[in-house]
Amino acid sequence: MAPLKSLEVNYSLIDSDFQQFCASQGIFSVEDFLMHDLYVLVALAEQYPTSDRLKEGITQILSIIESQHQPWQNGLELLEDSQNCKQFLPVGCQRIDAFLHGGLQQGFLTELVGPSSSGKTQVCLLAASSIAKTNLGKVMFIDTGNSFSAKRIVEFFNQNADHAYSAVNDNKILQQVLDNIICRSVFDIFKLLDVLHELLNNLNYQTGHNLKMLVVDSISSLITPVLGGNGAHGHALMATAGFLLKKLAHDHNLAVLITNHMVAGEGGLTKPALGESWKSIPHVRLMVSREPASNISTMSVLMHPAMAVGSRVECGIL
Amino acid sequence: MASALKDWIKPDETAKEMLTRVFTVRPFLPLPPPLHKLPLRAGNVVEIVGPSSSTKTHILMQAAISCILPKEWKGVRYGGMERLAAFVDLDCRFDILRFSQLLKHQIARANSNDKKPQAEYDQELFAACMRRFLYICCYDSFEFLATLKTMNYQLQKEKEIQGVSVHLLMLDSIGAFYWMDRALPALSLGGINRRSFSLQSVTENVVQEIQKLLLVHPMLVLASKRASLGEKHSKTEAMRSLDDRNPRRWPTAEASGLNNASRGIQALLYREYMPLVWQSFVTHRVHVRPSDENSKHQSQQIYLTEWLLPSIKSSDTFTVNDAGIFLIS
Repeated sequence: MAPLKSLEVNYSLIDSDFQQFCASQGIFSVEDFLMHDLYVLVALAEQYPTSDRLKEGITQILSIIESQHQPWQNGLELLEDSQNCKQFLPVGCQRIDAFLHGGLQQGFLTELVGPSSSGKTQVCLLAASSIAKTNLGKVMFIDTGNSFSAKRIVEFFNQNADHAYSAVNDNKILQQVLDNIICRSVFDIFKLLDVLHELLNNLNYQTGHNLKMLVVDSISSLITPVLGGNGAHGHALMATAGFLLKKLAHDHNLAVLITNHMVAGEGGLTKPALGESWKSIPHVRLMVSREPASNISTMSVLMHPAMAVGSRVECGIL
Repeated sequence: MASALKDWIKPDETAKEMLTRVFTVRPFLPLPPPLHKLPLRAGNVVEIVGPSSSTKTHILMQAAISCILPKEWKGVRYGGMERLAAFVDLDCRFDILRFSQLLKHQIARANSNDKKPQAEYDQELFAACMRRFLYICCYDSFEFLATLKTMNYQLQKEKEIQGVSVHLLMLDSIGAFYWMDRALPALSLGGINRRSFSLQSVTENVVQEIQKLLLVHPMLVLASKRASLGEKHSKTEAMRSLDDRNPRRWPTAEASGLNNASRGIQALLYREYMPLVWQSFVTHRVHVRPSDENSKHQSQQIYLTEWLLPSIKSSDTFTVNDAGIFLIS
């Protein structure tokens, strides 16, 4: 939010006189206003000779504050927005798509939890290739562990290729699919926040963007190093990243897919690396697991707004 | 002089008049289970505390539905309040599809009770109800404060458009920005009288703004709050801390249940992390958690509610399915 000085240009009511009055109350920015009782401020302004103008200034600030929060919506508008803009994007595996009522929902954060080599990255790559192909939308893949493989995308593409097309045509589509997937390598949380802020800014100023999906594989490997210790900063960074992802998902209709690895917990059981305080971030939490020496992965629901916990599906794509 | 004195002595109103006034301004709101046990009224602040995925949001949704449904509509009894309900989403995880599904089930159930399955009415009623549900989401504490500061105007506007007042304010969930607020820069630049941003000052302002709001719009406030520890490994941790008798880690007031081990664990399961100013603002507190015992009803997860403030001995059990929350008697 802006310091009052910078607002002077656009709002004539916020002149030097008004700024002086605010400075006497310890107010220098719009944020400072939020920490004050506006009724008390109005009462104080009454004591000044220019009280009318000061009060107009306060009203002006109030209208600026009003533009700072998200708009109010009623249930009907919300439902309409959800039905028009928040669709289910197919992951590309029939059984998973049927299980998830159509795939990954735009506007939602879907988290895959599972031990290493259970197929989390494979699901991410499959979903990326499927969405880049069928919806002809762009996918941003944030890669934190060099796990992105263009070769795997080509393999998935060939698996599901429509053989009615000629090879030349196929090649053209493949080119398009690969063009639609943007991969960014990110190795620490600060870089991740930078990339997400940059993305948010770009999307805010671009109206006709075609970004449909954002993948972060894996987000836990960025966050776990900053957790621990006595300070609140690690958790604050985690929460900030989580809310940024939710804002991106909700405001720009992205399906966000993140992965979370498993660590050893108490009693020899494994548990998700990002645990209790992360739980309030994702909308959907799915567990991916695979028996040793088997190529069938199991996906089960840990948390879902509309599905029962524990329902599961088996899938042999990987 | 004598008349002035007489005026001064004269009672403002009789007890009966006062009671009728209070009942009209701050009426009792009949809420659906599991919040049905206590009479709650506008002006109360109810905190629903529980671990993650313990149906806290569902309870809020169910309360919102009973607020927006009419009492009666074209001869069918729906048993609602026909008032506005405001939902402030701080977790940013609200699922409108689930909400509309619950509302449709509720309408269908009332219709089938009266044996009047008329789909046409439903559409109209459904739209009217959905319009009474007001929603906003906030991504940080400043947006939340900005929302509260301007909410008075918004609610006034909606009240004039729809002709009914707001009865319910829901906050889901109140501790959502806890970590972000705790890490706010502690030092303030630019003068001694500039107020610093901290968890304490932000919460103070939130409480102050809600208090002011309640004066103008008498509403029941329902706030969900995530318990700081989850059920599964909290139990072992709680046990361990009971063994250690580690008073630094666990507030002593809550550890006072030590004489009864199981009760001690129960109390330790949730550790208060919101500042005192919020805690003292809360008038009622209810604890929700998934129960350990397996259900006889198609292996559904059973949930338990227990009133902590005021403390009531008996607890309620319920399950959740597609159509909503159902009590198990």
